[in-house]
Amino acid sequence: MISSLAVFVFLAELTSQLTNLNDQILLRINGMAGRSWLFDSLVGLTQENDLLKAGLIGCCFFAAWYSGKTTDETRAGRKVLLVTLVAAVCVLTTTKVISKSVFLPRPAIESQKIYHLSDDKLVEMKRTNVRVPLDEESQKVHRALVSGDVDNNDLGSFPSDHAGFFLTISLGIFLAYRRIGAIALGWTLFVILAGKMIQGAHAPVDILAGGVVALAELSAIRLVTKNRFDRVLDAITGWTIKHAALSSALLFAIVFEISSTLFHVRQALSLLAAARHHLLG
Amino acid sequence: MATMMRTLFQRGALKTLAVIAGALFLLTSCKVMGKDGLILMTDRDYKAEVFATNKAGFGAPDGLRWRDGKLYLADEGAQALQVWSADGGMKTLMDRQFGPQSPEDLVVDAVGNVFFSDDDAGGVWEVDSNGKQSLLAGKDKGLYSTEGIALAPDGSIVVGDTDSHQVFKVTRTGDVSVFLGREFGITKPESMTYDDQGNLYIADNEDDVLYLLDSNRQLHRAIDRKDGFSPETLFFFRGTLYITDSRSGKLYLLTPNEELKPIATFGGQLRNIQGVTVDEKGDIYVSVQADLKHNVGYIIKITKEQ
Repeated sequence: MISSLAVFVFLAELTSQLTNLNDQILLRINGMAGRSWLFDSLVGLTQENDLLKAGLIGCCFFAAWYSGKTTDETRAGRKVLLVTLVAAVCVLTTTKVISKSVFLPRPAIESQKIYHLSDDKLVEMKRTNVRVPLDEESQKVHRALVSGDVDNNDLGSFPSDHAGFFLTISLGIFLAYRRIGAIALGWTLFVILAGKMIQGAHAPVDILAGGVVALAELSAIRLVTKNRFDRVLDAITGWTIKHAALSSALLFAIVFEISSTLFHVRQALSLLAAARHHLLG
Repeated sequence: MATMMRTLFQRGALKTLAVIAGALFLLTSCKVMGKDGLILMTDRDYKAEVFATNKAGFGAPDGLRWRDGKLYLADEGAQALQVWSADGGMKTLMDRQFGPQSPEDLVVDAVGNVFFSDDDAGGVWEVDSNGKQSLLAGKDKGLYSTEGIALAPDGSIVVGDTDSHQVFKVTRTGDVSVFLGREFGITKPESMTYDDQGNLYIADNEDDVLYLLDSNRQLHRAIDRKDGFSPETLFFFRGTLYITDSRSGKLYLLTPNEELKPIATFGGQLRNIQGVTVDEKGDIYVSVQADLKHNVGYIIKITKEQ
């Protein structure tokens, strides 16, 4: 009994300490925002501009795809990259599912006066005093928030799907070719994900959770494919070498779509669902 | 970096992941909650609390009306008209055995007679101050799918019908006449309320227009398709029009010569706000249909902070 109580007290204290740490790191990183219009606009650009965000990681992926000096090296690298693509889709799905079942609003939302429903009671949430970036888009989003426009997507920021997705791809590239992977990882960590925290869109815990999902699923899928689907991967990579032009075109389409976090596929599926609804009632 | 990655993927991957996952669980456990409902106070002078849940005995209410210390509920989920009071708790005034299928909106007159609409069963239903139940006017009189209901200054009932896109006047004896015909162009008269000048406000949540019918029977578009605004329920109290918008989950106030002012935004499972009413002290009550299919609802009280 006493030992259970001690463990409970210890866990509660640890939770409190870690939460404080999470808030402190967030406020320190977000503290860079709202001081310089130029800096905030540059950060905003890396978050809004697909060429700077997904495009650069896609370039790294393609560079890694063609980086092998020998056929065997190319095959080995491509096997890792193919597994990475599968893992990226799984990671995106996982992070979306978790974020829909876990309520953890974006830090920018938590800066407002919010009541949260907990055990049939409305509890006022602790406010996080995040700074608002000075760039036009962030100011527009902030004005909308102050007038009460809250996107449902902003209520479930845990875990960060950007962290999960881009870390999976970057780690995969790193495992295939370290130099190119280091560039992708560096860009993901210090530009894409740091930008999310500077803007107050994600807290460190969101990023960390996305990273854990990425690591776990990439490891698991690598393990499974190595043990059970190695021959399939061998066949596919052999095909990509034999039919270089066609496989490059296909790879472009796949990487483009995955880099867009499957936006266009989801859009097409929504259209299909709407068509089914209209035709079948 | 390379060594760390190799170690992670070859040897201690599982242990490392378990440690990180444990830390994450601890880190988030104090913030992660099962029910994802929230209210963002756009006007920070107000505070929100849960006034009642299903435990009080209601289902998923739509229309609400506060009168003399009692809260009347048109309970769409439970298919019943109910009343709550501090001393008497929740009581059912009429349930589906009598005929209503989907109580929508309600009004209470000065002596405690309650009238409500029903968008499935149609008609105007009445429970008088002695508890006597009746169908004042039904589908046979053209009231197929009744929505908004208001008490006119002359004591008659004004009710909107979605199927015929008209507003009808119903006398206390059950006679029905057209009050606003199709020529007025109101598609879905979802809610209606009179102000203290005798003007009638009409919410059309299909065309997203708030109409104002003045005392000269001139119909004005007070708010016309503005920034996703879609009025669900209207309630007039002491010079202020209270408006819920179930599409955006917002509660608005509209006062003469002022802009539409959002005071709270409801999100997550609290997003589907329906009825609104105000008590004598000025406290606001909003009904939420969290899950109409499974009969889950809330009544939220919003008060001005001292």
